[in-house]
Amino acid sequence: MSSSSAKPPELDPAALPEPEADEPTRVPLAIEDWLTVLIMAALALITFANVLVRYFTNSSFAWTEEFSVFLMIVLALVAGSAAVARDRHIRIEYFSDSGSMARRRGLACFGALMVALLFGVIAVLSVRVVWDDYRFGETSPGIGVPQWWYSMWMPIISAAISLRAFGLFLRRLRGAVAEVEAQP
Amino acid sequence: MIATLLFIAFLAMMLAGVPIGASLGLAGAAAIAAANLDAQWFGLLAVPQNFYAGLGKYPLLAIPMFVLVGSIFDRSGVALRLVNFAVAIVGRGPGMLPLVAIAVAMFLGGISGSGPANAAAVGGVMIAAMSRAGYPASFSASVVGAAAATDILIPPSVAFIVYSVLVPGASVPALFAAGMVPGVLAGLALIVPAVWMARKHKMGALESSLPRPAFWKSLREAVWGLAAPVLILGGMRAGWFTPTEAAVVAVFYGLFVGMFIHRTIRFRDLFVILRESGELSAVILIVVSLAGIFAYSLSTLGIIDPVTRAIVNSGLGEYGVLALLILLLITVGMFLDGVSIFLIFVPLLLPIVQYYKWDPVWFGVILTLKVALGQFTPPLAVNLMVSCRIAKVRMEETVQWVGWMLFSMFLIMVLVIAFPELALWLPRQMGY
Repeated sequence: MSSSSAKPPELDPAALPEPEADEPTRVPLAIEDWLTVLIMAALALITFANVLVRYFTNSSFAWTEEFSVFLMIVLALVAGSAAVARDRHIRIEYFSDSGSMARRRGLACFGALMVALLFGVIAVLSVRVVWDDYRFGETSPGIGVPQWWYSMWMPIISAAISLRAFGLFLRRLRGAVAEVEAQP
Repeated sequence: MIATLLFIAFLAMMLAGVPIGASLGLAGAAAIAAANLDAQWFGLLAVPQNFYAGLGKYPLLAIPMFVLVGSIFDRSGVALRLVNFAVAIVGRGPGMLPLVAIAVAMFLGGISGSGPANAAAVGGVMIAAMSRAGYPASFSASVVGAAAATDILIPPSVAFIVYSVLVPGASVPALFAAGMVPGVLAGLALIVPAVWMARKHKMGALESSLPRPAFWKSLREAVWGLAAPVLILGGMRAGWFTPTEAAVVAVFYGLFVGMFIHRTIRFRDLFVILRESGELSAVILIVVSLAGIFAYSLSTLGIIDPVTRAIVNSGLGEYGVLALLILLLITVGMFLDGVSIFLIFVPLLLPIVQYYKWDPVWFGVILTLKVALGQFTPPLAVNLMVSCRIAKVRMEETVQWVGWMLFSMFLIMVLVIAFPELALWLPRQMGY
């Protein structure tokens, strides 16, 4: 299968829009990025292994379902944290990205603060969920391990998201201040 | 009172540019707290519980996997070879490149599950090719953006997976089968205005001077891409694998083709592919989970029933209500993406669907057709955003072209409403 005749168009840099360069963050985004990559790879490999095992042995390891769901939740939170720092979450930009610079900055700060608030609340409340799981000795329905092994990560990552959102807030705020000072 | 607070808080935050998931979660949490002022912790423990319950569903795992499939096939070089093969079949007549773009987007729709991924794959090849043939960039971007919208109708589809998680009576295989005929019709409906506009405005004058690829050679090169939907859809149909597993099989197939056959994916590209698809999936999944909080407060506040009663007793009749819903969703669809629309509106609309005894699978196809239209209706058109970025045009410039294509696809939606069998015949034949 030779592909030499059909090389240039897909190597054309215009074909794949380059991801925009990240704004610098105090805590490197590489933490979230590496976790995201590892979890995505693990999810694909576990599910693929499941297909192969069932195909060759007619038995399935259904317990992987529970672990995959756990990994998916962690993926949503960890990669969601990077998306918060990069300001990539779905939002209506129609009003917040028009109008005066002051309004844009104000709304950007407000949005980041709201995200920080929500995940801060979720982090605090999740601690209570973990405590209940621990106190009542809940075990997971599939594998039967203590439930808090899973749930303990939720307040931790939620707090991390909250901090990422707060970081975004500070960057937006500093941007606004820098702009005001730059004016004569 | 609290219900009003819920909606006003949500709308205000959303319009102010707060991420949609956060708007849903905060409004839901505020409403829960306001309704349980005397309970322990204001009943807010329901917030984390519903957050995780909204996410902890095995079928949702298909979303990151199909997003990954899209990201891999984006870079696998399959789209380019499919385009060459399609050109070899239809030749170099006037208006043939727009036709090829739509046909290839439909075919890739049988591999990937999301419109923007499709727009990136097709746009990456077609927009440059169309500009070489003399088509204006804004026209190419419009055609690619519209064509990619058929992706969420043609199985596999992330939109159908989300809908199926929200609606107990609609299974993923049934929805996938139901989207097939309307999806193909929608694609055909796009070809008519695209080719007509190209001929009317004498676009692509250079096309006939370009070489026509040799048929057998391009078939041989395209065969790896041609086999992919057969593997995915055939494998699901034959019961070899579930939708999630089909996605994962497609991931490894796509990686094999991209890394060893077409050699367009290098090992170090894997990091970018996994990171980007992971982040994109998280953006979807976070909205799904935070919408769980919103849906919980909706259901416990008991506001769905009165709203449903008011609507069904309004004297509009079944089709009046349906027309009103579509009008509402088209308006909302100009500002919201498809998954958010599903998550916000399906819990509200489900009682109406049940009242009129509409088929939930048919209703899902209608909603998805609506969302597909929204994907290339400016100003918030996710597919056009991708194709315009590749074509380096502003979205305003596409307005003159997308109108007819929107109208044409809208007619298909009217057809599916008038003849529900268009959606329901295939799943029944297949026994879902």
